[in-house]
Amino acid sequence: MTEVERETTIMRTFLHASLALGLSAMPAAAAELTVMTAGDQNMVDYINEYLGPLFEEQNPGHKVRAVGTGPGDAGSQKIVERFDAQAQAKSETWDTDVAVVHEKFVGPLVENGYLDAYRDRISSGKLVTRSNADMALGTNVKGYVMPMFNSQTALAYNPALLPNPPKSYEELAAWVKENPKQFGYNGIKGGASGVSFVMGWIYAFGEGDANKLMNGPFEEAETQKWSAAFDKLAEFTTNATLTPGNAGTLDLLSRGEIAIGPVWVDMFYSWQASGQLPPEFKLVLPAPGMPGQPMHYVIPEKAPNKELAEKFVELATSPKVQAEGIVKRFNWYPGIDAQHVQAELDEETWNKLFTDVTPEDLTSYGKPFPITPFNNAILEAYERHVTN
Amino acid sequence: MTNDTPNRILGLLLVLPALAVIVLLFVVPLASSVVGAFRVNGGFGFGNFIKSYELYTSDIIFTVVIVSLSTLLIGIFSIAIGGYLVLGENPRAVAILRWLYRWPLFIPFIVVGQVLRTFLAKNGLMNNILIEVGLITPLQATSFLDWRGIVIAFVWKQTPFVALLVSGAMAALDRSTIEAARNLGASRLRILIDIVVPQVATTLMVGLVLSFVTMMSVLSVPLMINAQSPTMITADIAFRINAYGDYGVANALGLISLVASGCVGWFYLRQTLRERA
Repeated sequence: MTEVERETTIMRTFLHASLALGLSAMPAAAAELTVMTAGDQNMVDYINEYLGPLFEEQNPGHKVRAVGTGPGDAGSQKIVERFDAQAQAKSETWDTDVAVVHEKFVGPLVENGYLDAYRDRISSGKLVTRSNADMALGTNVKGYVMPMFNSQTALAYNPALLPNPPKSYEELAAWVKENPKQFGYNGIKGGASGVSFVMGWIYAFGEGDANKLMNGPFEEAETQKWSAAFDKLAEFTTNATLTPGNAGTLDLLSRGEIAIGPVWVDMFYSWQASGQLPPEFKLVLPAPGMPGQPMHYVIPEKAPNKELAEKFVELATSPKVQAEGIVKRFNWYPGIDAQHVQAELDEETWNKLFTDVTPEDLTSYGKPFPITPFNNAILEAYERHVTN
Repeated sequence: MTNDTPNRILGLLLVLPALAVIVLLFVVPLASSVVGAFRVNGGFGFGNFIKSYELYTSDIIFTVVIVSLSTLLIGIFSIAIGGYLVLGENPRAVAILRWLYRWPLFIPFIVVGQVLRTFLAKNGLMNNILIEVGLITPLQATSFLDWRGIVIAFVWKQTPFVALLVSGAMAALDRSTIEAARNLGASRLRILIDIVVPQVATTLMVGLVLSFVTMMSVLSVPLMINAQSPTMITADIAFRINAYGDYGVANALGLISLVASGCVGWFYLRQTLRERA
């Protein structure tokens, strides 16, 4: 067994054990709502410390229990495998009421028929009109998901070292050639900010149609059009500093070892708020754009407490919670449409979120990730061209 | 004896739970992983290995070289530590070394990775100290967070383990051979290399083989220190599963690192068999 597999198995055993304990200890009338979430510890904290207590206050007698499945795609992958297992075992009721998963994994979940189409049944459902709540990387998921938040990648830079940051991938490539090792990114194995940078690179320099990558349909021929772009990226990477992970990029930025690098906008603001990054650091979203992604609330078709689960998601996507929890606490862009959230927030908080990256930038340069088959093809092509 | 057969059955029954645990928790998953490595789109074939070869050759070579180099360094350092503990003449220095060298044993790999990540960075603690002392200028400071960082982490973490085994074996040696060599005027280094090390060679080999296999399976250190290119096989296995949900190539890579560890194990077994023969 590999270390990862072993960890997964151990974690599964623990989950089973804790679920069995939790279920047997449950009083008859009150339900325990199990919320399974992918993502960093902050996602679990968000539910345990903020959303859960709020829900329990409004629904006395019921309890919310958050289970974290780990950061990044790996966390969502675990939730998918868990659902797979319960579907194959033909379980009548599953052990999850609400799950929070990355965009990439929603399509397969819907296609396998694991999810409940609940969006039209909850009042906040009509507050979402953004297209990524209807289509998830090429799969129609309309009705099955509610976005918890939208997050975006951008280039963070140190104005002391770089007063006029590059405004496009083209300018960045030229700048890096003249200033070797001043740009840092985390490749594709150390977190999604590096992945996002690579996807943006292919949008910018790939010879195919970037829109086809984002919207599909998948065509094998399209994957042959990236050679020149990857050769250029391989050369670019020799002049770049490779960082260990999303946090690693911010770390090197804060210590002045690099001048610019791709980061998640929410992480950038959180680090700034906690003093880990100097306040004068800034963000720029380069043309033709970098990807971002939502995380979605989903409810399994066989959730044990469906009605409560819907209530929970309704609360979580209400304008008030989106304003307080998502925007104010975490600096994420709201999942529901921004105008409904803006009304709940003071101007200062709102402006802070949109100082460097304006709403206009977001509309024109905030892109989705490529659809899953293209996404995988690009990652593998990167391994083939750049790292081997 | 007439009750020989019931005894044998009883013996089998007693061994059965342990055997079942080994079969269920070790043999079955291992077999399914090996079979999985050859499974391609419903059929069987070498597709996963071809892909591993195309994408990860440099990582495989990197892993073997890094781990071999670390094993070599661990051997040298543990002989040096064990040797000083046995042959050292300053009792205070020996006591301090004996107390100090075991510490890394109790620190998990992930913590080693985290500690070294801040220690070895370009503007990390190590370079800051060197700059303060005046040994290097700020411009000369380079980051060690690449293959060197991995080697440092491995050596730092595994040396105490091997040194513990080796120094134990050295302490158990018949001291008369050492005294005899000393009486004939051999230097301490000469005694260590010519008298002590040959007598503890088997223990040293066991320690090094176990360290090699342990290091082959560490995921946290390469992820924290150098998840870049080239990186270690474990990081690639994790990436295959997490990014693509692709267990086929992950299993193939697992089998490749199993073969690498297996070679070392085989070498060790052959050595011990020859000694016993």
